[in-house]
Amino acid sequence: MGGAVTAAPPMALLAELTYRCPLRCGYCANPTDWRGYGRELDGDAWRRVVREAGALGVLHLHLSGGEPLLRDDLEDIAREGRDAGLYVNVITSGFGATRARVEALAAAGVDHVQVSLQDADGERGDRVAGVRAHDHKLVVARMVRDAGMELSINVVLHRGNLARTGEIIALAASLGAQRLELANTQYHGSALANRADLLPARAQLDAAFAVARAAQRDLAGRMDVIYVVPDWFADAPRPCMDGWGRRFMTVIPDGTALPCPGAHGLPGFAFDNVRDRSLDDIWYRGADFERYRGTAWMAEPCASCERREVDYGGCRCQAFALTGDAAATDPACAKSPHHKLIRDEREGPRGEPAVLYRIDTTRARR
Amino acid sequence: MVPSLARRARVRWDAARDCHVLLYPEGVLVLTPEAAEVIERIDGARSVEAIVDALAGEHPEAPRDVIDGDVRELLERLAARGFVRWEAP
Repeated sequence: MGGAVTAAPPMALLAELTYRCPLRCGYCANPTDWRGYGRELDGDAWRRVVREAGALGVLHLHLSGGEPLLRDDLEDIAREGRDAGLYVNVITSGFGATRARVEALAAAGVDHVQVSLQDADGERGDRVAGVRAHDHKLVVARMVRDAGMELSINVVLHRGNLARTGEIIALAASLGAQRLELANTQYHGSALANRADLLPARAQLDAAFAVARAAQRDLAGRMDVIYVVPDWFADAPRPCMDGWGRRFMTVIPDGTALPCPGAHGLPGFAFDNVRDRSLDDIWYRGADFERYRGTAWMAEPCASCERREVDYGGCRCQAFALTGDAAATDPACAKSPHHKLIRDEREGPRGEPAVLYRIDTTRARR
Repeated sequence: MVPSLARRARVRWDAARDCHVLLYPEGVLVLTPEAAEVIERIDGARSVEAIVDALAGEHPEAPRDVIDGDVRELLERLAARGFVRWEAP
């Protein structure tokens, strides 16, 4: 391994500080056996990782989870990132945030806060979160603006809330958000297990997309509306992480370094841990980062596809989850011999979705 | 008019890539050396004219009206993306 591909430095580090979360959203992409992971890195280790990221050429630091506010050293880690020249982004549910905490984040140098919403109103949003959170999230979003930080609202779209895309956009705009991320569910972790109740009907998606496009036009210059098209309905894979080991690095709570936040589930991998090796060493010389880097690893139909450097074969984790082979073409692609798996599911019957929560399969893992 | 850099935008030298970059939420603009020269002079106090004067002083080989046009075009493009704000002096 190694030597075949000369990697550029990573652009962004996703630091998943904890898998703990007070919310129980059924589309959670964290691993379903999240309780079974080793102890979380302590603050000293995270600060070292952040410094190494800066030296490695990382420009964006995303502090996420789980719920990163559960770490009382979040501010210290953020400050270390800012001192290393990184653009610091906190991705949070807002649950439990006080004005003092939000102001402390701003004082620590956090540039940007992304607050999740589950729906356009409290009754529906709280049902998805499994906890009373919605009304407080609105308060926290305004605190973020008051503290002078950039505000994004993040909403995961699924069958149960797509019909209110317009209301969600209006709510985000009323909060003073500069960005709104409307991300259709990606089927990893709990979302994969719960997909029968999350998958939308195509007509629902088409209607939501039209609403989002109109809002992009109407709100231009006021709020950026980002609409992430669902790969299951696009017949083309998403360029997962912009290519394996190409731009993004993830470190999960126990210190394992991954090319994407879902890769912990892949079999036959022995991902390196930041406790043992430097970030630089893992990025450039880690065998598992090399494994799917570039295009040399591809089999057909990817190997000769004219889009192989556009979508990089799609998502390795989705390929494994659905076909059992992490090196297979992502079944989201119409050229995949396994595409029927996705086609059958997405055209399946659509009843009223049940409300399902984050799954815990930790005992099964042990 | 006085340009200032919006808080959402941060400009820094990127040693790993040997260029100036402008960082913003979820994105990076790679700056040409010329663009970086302009942006480094944005301090929320200097007017466009003062920035053009400073650059013209350092680049006697370039006609002032060309510098003026380039600076205004760059600042307008950055303002359209919310990276630069205009304030009356």
